[in-house]
Amino acid sequence: MTIDVPDNQPPMPLSPNEGTTRRIAVHGIMILLSALSIFPIYWMIVTSLRPENEIFSTLPWPSNPSLENYVFVLTRIPMLQMLVNTTIVATATAALQVLTGLLTAYALVRWRMRLAGLVHGLIALSWLVPFQVTMIPNYVLASRLGLLDTLTGLVVPNAVAAFAILLLYHSMRSFPTEILEAARIDGAKSWRILWQIVTPNMGAPIASLAIIAFISAWNEYFWPLLLSRKPENSVVQIGLQMFMTQEGNLWGPLMAAAALASLPILVIYLILQRHVIESFMKSGIR
Amino acid sequence: MTDIQADLARPLALARSPATEREQNVFTVLPWLYLAPALILLMMWTYVPLVQAFQLSFYQWNMLPTAPQRYVGLTNYQRLLALPEMRAALWNTLFYILGLFPMSVVIPLFVAIWTQDLTGRARTVYRALIFVPMIVAPVVAAVLWRWLLNEDQGLVTLGLEQLGFGRIGFLTDPKYALATLTWITGWKLIGFSTLLFSAANAGINPSYIEAARIDGATRWGIIRDLRLPLLSPTILLLSMMTILFGAQWSFAYINVLTNGGPLKSTTNIFYLLWEYGFQTLSAGWSSAAGMIAFAGFAVIAAGCLWLMKRFAVYDN
Repeated sequence: MTIDVPDNQPPMPLSPNEGTTRRIAVHGIMILLSALSIFPIYWMIVTSLRPENEIFSTLPWPSNPSLENYVFVLTRIPMLQMLVNTTIVATATAALQVLTGLLTAYALVRWRMRLAGLVHGLIALSWLVPFQVTMIPNYVLASRLGLLDTLTGLVVPNAVAAFAILLLYHSMRSFPTEILEAARIDGAKSWRILWQIVTPNMGAPIASLAIIAFISAWNEYFWPLLLSRKPENSVVQIGLQMFMTQEGNLWGPLMAAAALASLPILVIYLILQRHVIESFMKSGIR
Repeated sequence: MTDIQADLARPLALARSPATEREQNVFTVLPWLYLAPALILLMMWTYVPLVQAFQLSFYQWNMLPTAPQRYVGLTNYQRLLALPEMRAALWNTLFYILGLFPMSVVIPLFVAIWTQDLTGRARTVYRALIFVPMIVAPVVAAVLWRWLLNEDQGLVTLGLEQLGFGRIGFLTDPKYALATLTWITGWKLIGFSTLLFSAANAGINPSYIEAARIDGATRWGIIRDLRLPLLSPTILLLSMMTILFGAQWSFAYINVLTNGGPLKSTTNIFYLLWEYGFQTLSAGWSSAAGMIAFAGFAVIAAGCLWLMKRFAVYDN
């Protein structure tokens, strides 16, 4: 589902009296919703910067900011290793989803096959199969392939995503056919057309897809929960959960761990804010 | 819209130059080479496992590779359906979904309509802020709310105490735990849904509204007779998402925060699958419960798609 995001809806003409009250109410609602959305994250960062003896303070800022909580987390669990692992897993997942998405979408757009409908259906329906239903056979397969407790095992089952294929398929379908025809008449092979003509023109959808895939893979929790054994072979989400189970009431370090686990995503958001919002909105909820 | 695009795509597939005629034989194989990676992976990790789960649901097996799998027919299903635990989990699944509706559909819809004339810088700032929960990892969200709602020193608890309320065991009292988890699940969605509704609402052709106003329609009349019908595709889409995935979204919070307790009050069907599978190691039960859930949600999905075709109003 695609939703266009026009920016210039003309404001409703209002009578001056109604205007002021309404404007206050409108801003009031949005400020409330914004505060609700952002405050828990703000409080996480503030708590993570408080020294131990001030942890229960209700001051809205840390009076003696210190990094001791971060130091504690980094010495107690292999957080840096986990951050590296998560970066590898999320990058590889995003890259592979783009790759398999491009190949599949290209095949579906370029050739008319007898079984195209079936292929389409198989791809779209895979999105409806809840992971919890297939988890036992998946686990058995992963252990047979020796993928338990490896980073490869975290990536491979997520290397293809229905939404990635469908997103690229829809943008590829609107690619001007004359250009492809011209290339084909010039004798270009399908492989070259894909990489030299189609892909370079798909920058925007590929970027959207990569952003969503990276963020979802970074936040992924359930499959690593099944697959990982040792903390040093795992990802930050699992690290955070383990830390919570062990040191659940050390609020300062716990918030520092949560901040570390979300920092890369928040930084990406700060830099690419508009892009991230629009990518998510174009592709619906998942 | 779809039809136009299909027409554009056709010449690409039909028009054949002499060179491609010669390669006809290659062409029947070539597309499948492009499709192979995705299809092999989907088979390996989704469809074959789905069939295997279906088979497993008729067997008794404790998940040890060396232990035998014993065929038990429909016993797993009969036992499960008679189990109060299963019935409670199904009810809880329903409560999660119903509880999410206000936060994923109703409130965002009205906030979007109410705030539609916001423009400029303020709008950009609000957009940027209310989107943030969407990209916060579920485990992080769980940890944040565990701190805010903590029974001793949590900020919400202290606030309620200031207001003269007693302490509430948000995560430890069976009366509140499910509502708390639903709240956390909804917290991640509310801003994003608002943005989706705002975009759809801003996409409504302003001349319709203008025409209605000239005809003397009231503000509420315009909302009821124009905006809501024209927003119905988005309303139905978000409702479908909530129904189909709401219970899955809450899984991480259940597992991190309550483990299905207190007194099983937060166990939904997906958590039950996980418990049977990886806690009590009864693969047959887990698979049978999985099949029941899958069949149920498949029927609901088909129903939702039918509803969308039937009732959504599209502005052509």
